[in-house]
Amino acid sequence: MKQYTIDPVTRLEGHGKIEIFCNDDGDVENVYFQVPELRGFEKFVEGRPIEEVSQIVTKICGVCPGCHHMAAGKAADMVFGVEPTPTARMIRELFYSAHFVHSHIAHFYALGAPDFVVGPTAPKAERNVLGVIAKVGAEIGTEVLKQRRIAQEIQALLGGHQTHVVMNVPGGVRKGLTEEQRKDVLAKAKGFVEFGKFSMKIFNDVVLANKDYVDIIVNGPYSLKIHSMGLVDANNKVNFYDGKVRVVDTLGKELHKYAPADYREYIAERVEPWSYLKFPYLKKVGWKGFVEGQDSGVYQATPLSRLNASDGMATPIAQEEYERMYSVLGGKPVHATLAMHWARLVELIYAAERAVELASIPEITSPDLRAKIEKVPTEGVGTVEAQRGTLTHHYWTDERGLITKANLIVGTTNNNAPICMSLKKAAQGLIKKGVTVDDGILNMVEMAFRAYDPCFSCATHSLPGQMPMVINFRDMEGNIQRQVKRD
Amino acid sequence: MQQQTGKVLILGMGNEILTDDGIGIKLTYELEKQIIHPDVSFDSLSIGGLEIIEFLSPYDTVIILDAIKTLNGVPGSVYRFVPDDFKSTLHIDNLHDISFLNALKVGEKLGIKTPSNIQIIAIEIVEDLEFGDEFTPQIQERWEDIKTEVKKIILTILKDELKLSYF
Repeated sequence: MKQYTIDPVTRLEGHGKIEIFCNDDGDVENVYFQVPELRGFEKFVEGRPIEEVSQIVTKICGVCPGCHHMAAGKAADMVFGVEPTPTARMIRELFYSAHFVHSHIAHFYALGAPDFVVGPTAPKAERNVLGVIAKVGAEIGTEVLKQRRIAQEIQALLGGHQTHVVMNVPGGVRKGLTEEQRKDVLAKAKGFVEFGKFSMKIFNDVVLANKDYVDIIVNGPYSLKIHSMGLVDANNKVNFYDGKVRVVDTLGKELHKYAPADYREYIAERVEPWSYLKFPYLKKVGWKGFVEGQDSGVYQATPLSRLNASDGMATPIAQEEYERMYSVLGGKPVHATLAMHWARLVELIYAAERAVELASIPEITSPDLRAKIEKVPTEGVGTVEAQRGTLTHHYWTDERGLITKANLIVGTTNNNAPICMSLKKAAQGLIKKGVTVDDGILNMVEMAFRAYDPCFSCATHSLPGQMPMVINFRDMEGNIQRQVKRD
Repeated sequence: MQQQTGKVLILGMGNEILTDDGIGIKLTYELEKQIIHPDVSFDSLSIGGLEIIEFLSPYDTVIILDAIKTLNGVPGSVYRFVPDDFKSTLHIDNLHDISFLNALKVGEKLGIKTPSNIQIIAIEIVEDLEFGDEFTPQIQERWEDIKTEVKKIILTILKDELKLSYF
């Protein structure tokens, strides 16, 4: 076999990097996090029928295709001025609950748990899902795979395919659920609840029972006092599929509550010359810079912010866990970035319980799958909670329903400024004169980033499994003094 | 992900609407018309992750077709690797989940059968950050050559190394 020597240029190495600026004393002055942005989506969808877009957008991102499908599908409903039938809405939400179960399990066991179950400064070779399995046992690893597979099977059943979903049509869904299928999904969803409780127990036993870990979560360089965003239902409870967008300030007081279609009145996007990604902020507050505090325009849209922005969870076990989390962490709102892992598990339980609720409703098998379309298409906005933040799709069409313009604000983009700020705080807290910047320190900086469960769309798939972090240490004139690279 | 029963899987990876990024998947569309064998299956994935473990379990050999970007690489160049001698093609890993190789190790750890033979064929591309369902001109120009070269490598693996009959 011919031997090639190659030096791959991943997108992160080519365009994305962390730049740390240090002063003469060796302390961190500023940090810039840069990632690439995919280009040309608006042009790509221009001229395509709006009803096809929910299928096209599942290819935007292999990580959260169901979220894009749902946001685009809801936007298409609005373009045609039609509400999905109650059955269609239940089927959509059931699919979406399974999507959350699937994604949150992956993040906790594959990305979050290695830092805590194996240890934040454990050797790199052990700090991964293999290390987690070594600690908690192969049986649990097998159960993780099983529950993920079951969640995928439910998505495939309802969505036609677990990744390239073809479920939504304007005003409804393509395919219904039989009584036999409903019973099967119900049994599986009950299994999700048990697995969610079990995962929370691991978090309690391994993380919360360890004072050092609790100290890192509560007192480490990982807090960020900014506003919180999330979708809420009519009772201000967390909802992933629908509702109003609620924003609470750093003290937990409601700042905004608006219909998703009005997002442009509340959210603006700032461009920085050093970043490919835009920085959304609260328009009515204004951009005050990358600053924390009550006057800041920066908000986050994460599992933690969803809980902060709500008055609770709509299902009983998740509500108990919600109350326990805020009780342990000193009340609402919580600004500890690493508490996102805890919030994600509360959401996992909620998604599981919600799936049980929906699969328990006999009417979900009704054949009333689609509402009649009678209006001329115009414009529509669809908003859902993606696992990693509030996701909005906005389309304008001509009278034939062909797209003339599109705008997307994806989950992670909401968190662009908070991620940059969290990285800066972590770097400032961990990198100081006299501190050897080793892999453990790098990982602890990366933990600030990883908690957000960031997904820079397809940019993420280029990375070799863990973030090939390139950190440039520069003096205040911008000269690279040192480069730490992990590939 | 549809489970297949064949022993060899030719797996295209990438994103078909990101210009050159989906070249691995588009190659599988072409090659499955030309390489027909009861023990050879074709499929595609956009990213790796935990699902890969059970997805790959039925197969003994997996030939991955993926895009790659290298320093000073010539567009359309075709590389062949095995897992031990490559760093990273564009879709073989997944930040959101676990890397392809770690997925295989997890499978082994959990007692799940994993393919014993992983081969990677990577194609040097130009653009993977811009939405578009057509290749860049540089790749389009080399498309026929790329298909020929990739097919030749695959047939070498199937015929000479795996000794599959009927070829």
